Amino acid sequence: MSGHGGTKKTTGTRAIQAAALLVTFGVLYGVTRLTPELETHLGTVTAVGFLLLAGTLMSELLETIGLPHLSGYLLAGIIGGPHILHLVDHHTVTELSPVNTLALSLIALAGGAELRIDTLRSVARGLAWATLVQSTFVLVCVAGVFLAVSRFIPFTQGLELKSLIGVSLLWGVLAVSRSPSACMGILAQTRAKGPVATFSLAFIMLSDVVVVILLATMLMLARPLITGSGGISLEDFSVLGHELLGSIAVGVTLGLGLAVYLRLVGHQLLLVLLAIGFGLSDTFAYIHVDSLLAFLAAGFVVTNLSDQGPKLLHSIEQTGSVVFVVFFATAGAHLDLPLLRKLWPVAVALCASRALFTVFASRISGRLAEDPPVLLRWGWSSLVSQAGLALGLSVVIAKAFPTFGEGFRALAIAAVALNEMIGPILFKFALDRAGETDHGAPEIRPSLPPAAATK
Amino acid sequence: MNAIAFLLGLLVLSYLGSILVGGRTIRGFGLASGAEYLVLGFVLGPQVLSVVGHSLVEAFQPVVVVGVSWLGLVLGVSYLRVAERRVPVPHIALGIALSALVSGCVSATVFFGATYFSPLPRIEVIAFAATAGIVCSETTRHSVRWIVERYGAKGPLADLAADTARASALFPALALAVVCAWLPGAALPTFSVIERVLVSIGLGMVLGGTAALLLGREFRRDESWGILLGTSLLGTGAATRLNLSPISTTFAMGLTLALVSRHSVDIKAMVTPTEKPVLLPVLLLAGAYVNVKLPMPLLVLVATAVVVKILARVFCGALLSVTTKSVRGVGLEFGGSMLSCGALGLAIALSFALRHPGVVADTVLLVASVGVLLGEWLGPASLRRALARTGEIKPEASAEDSQPTLPSEA
Repeated sequence: MSGHGGTKKTTGTRAIQAAALLVTFGVLYGVTRLTPELETHLGTVTAVGFLLLAGTLMSELLETIGLPHLSGYLLAGIIGGPHILHLVDHHTVTELSPVNTLALSLIALAGGAELRIDTLRSVARGLAWATLVQSTFVLVCVAGVFLAVSRFIPFTQGLELKSLIGVSLLWGVLAVSRSPSACMGILAQTRAKGPVATFSLAFIMLSDVVVVILLATMLMLARPLITGSGGISLEDFSVLGHELLGSIAVGVTLGLGLAVYLRLVGHQLLLVLLAIGFGLSDTFAYIHVDSLLAFLAAGFVVTNLSDQGPKLLHSIEQTGSVVFVVFFATAGAHLDLPLLRKLWPVAVALCASRALFTVFASRISGRLAEDPPVLLRWGWSSLVSQAGLALGLSVVIAKAFPTFGEGFRALAIAAVALNEMIGPILFKFALDRAGETDHGAPEIRPSLPPAAATK
Repeated sequence: MNAIAFLLGLLVLSYLGSILVGGRTIRGFGLASGAEYLVLGFVLGPQVLSVVGHSLVEAFQPVVVVGVSWLGLVLGVSYLRVAERRVPVPHIALGIALSALVSGCVSATVFFGATYFSPLPRIEVIAFAATAGIVCSETTRHSVRWIVERYGAKGPLADLAADTARASALFPALALAVVCAWLPGAALPTFSVIERVLVSIGLGMVLGGTAALLLGREFRRDESWGILLGTSLLGTGAATRLNLSPISTTFAMGLTLALVSRHSVDIKAMVTPTEKPVLLPVLLLAGAYVNVKLPMPLLVLVATAVVVKILARVFCGALLSVTTKSVRGVGLEFGGSMLSCGALGLAIALSFALRHPGVVADTVLLVASVGVLLGEWLGPASLRRALARTGEIKPEASAEDSQPTLPSEA
């Protein structure tokens, strides 16, 4: 992830970046307009180059108005994506999924490596209360709002109240999922240090596990309500338990292996991370291991059971500076704008209520845990973002309930799109206001140096 | 073989390549051109063991294109300098001239041979002749570096060999742009061939200039990767979509960076170590692409092209021994030393094979592959003899007790 611009950049530098951005868009626009009928298999290569360059430049330009780099990456993807300029088409966006796999594995590894046991101990009380309140209060309240607005939702028309309650509970689970990638993205850019940053990272990584358990629970509870047949089966929990324990076991093993490699060999980490990201993610999927959890555990082990954590984090940062830009820009290109345009009133209502209840829940849990004032004030800020995890959950729900699944998923995509755009901005704003990003320019890196033409 | 397993295999090769980049290691292991990986690819490929099947080779086509284009960028960025020394303009001109001369000789011979002895249509004959000439025109700079680092060579002949090898990359990179622009199926139907060539090169220059501006006043290595990767991938993808030559585009981009960026030395130092990690997987894939089951007339033409290349190189050496002081008395050996070829020739052959698949492309790839193997056999030994005879290395010096005099480019 490119860092936050610490070096002062002049108007000339910004002008050069803007011109370069125009060149980037212009080159691809020209090529696609000159050869509209040609779609080579190398569209993916072009797209990666374009998203990388345009995302980096857009992030630099948006930095001038205080927006996080992540918003720049997303915006570059949205503008270049299938719904506006059509420089990157749907097929290419789908083909970029290996980049997403790699990015998610790096994000999880880095997330785990950032979690130190001593830091976790310091926020354990707050973490426990926040997990409890956020997972229950927000789930129930957002489910209630969903129930209330269900008359405006096309796919719920004709459903009985019992079924509506089931669907609402599933939406509630979706509402308590967060975005580890957005959190890591903002933290990597700002290098924020402090209670809000520490709490956010620990909570969001933990919530990944909690949401998986909640989803299994709600699927079990909602099924009889929605289908009106069958009882509650605990088999899902048995499978889930095996998956979670298996993931942690595999992750610990991987972490120990990584720690040994870092200590004994310690070079060519870029290639090792690529091999892990591409190779192991597929292997994990094959053996039904949750790769996010496994990589999280691996990073955690490297940091807490060896002294190789900083080395691992530095390598991920180097690799991620390229991979994360493409990942978020692809996410931007993936945003379904026409769908958002169609469903925006309901999506806005659901997102606003989710944000509101998240703030309330944060205040309640903060008071119960006697969190410091800064956390009480800004602890909610990282919890608004949603991205791939929420979309993944919606796919699972859509598969489990084919009768309304597609409609549910479409609404989820629209809501996630809003949260994906607004969440990172709120988090960065909160970190700035909490004073956690102000720890000296030398620590903060720009994603681009000042341009040559500017003196 | 599973695609992920194959990808991991390629990553392992890259890992090996990155280890081989180290100056000390390069004196101990591996061949100058990496020909062993070409052979390995051939053995694993559809022609022999079929561990890597046709579909897998097809699936990795984008990897090949990106790899060869990145090599084009590396060659462009490092074109003007040997380590930190600037290549003198006369040496650049000499390298280009020798390269063009050899290419012309091979092309002419193949053209006449193919016209009279092969059933190929005229347009294919021209494409075959031009590309065969192009792939024979390069001298790999790795061969020179290999000898210099192994035997601690120092002197005007070592410098001339290094400079002309480096300069030889320009001609094939530009000539491929012409061939790709001329071939049927090129996009931009309303453009003339010259205009398409200008688009290939211009695209690279625009992106190179943009990258140079963005890399700016202060050079930060980590942050520069995004810019270099982004511009090169965009150039590669755009050139491919236009059915032009991506290698030429990225070479032009690299050369522009080398010419206009104030950080050209830093950029060169940054990208040069990536060459081996990219080259080895590309060589392996190139080996898998090689098809030896060709009609007899074409196999004869392959042999003819290689023989003409040897003769042309020897002739060049003899010519230089008359005109150039440092080559005096070692013309034949110096000519032989220029037979070493590798990355660029194969990259061009592969690029051509992907752009214009068919029997002609297979033949050109075979010419390039045979050229690499033959060059590996004759080139380094000839250079070593030439340097020993001119006293630039001691004949009895071994790899262990000699010190490299060129700073390692890695």
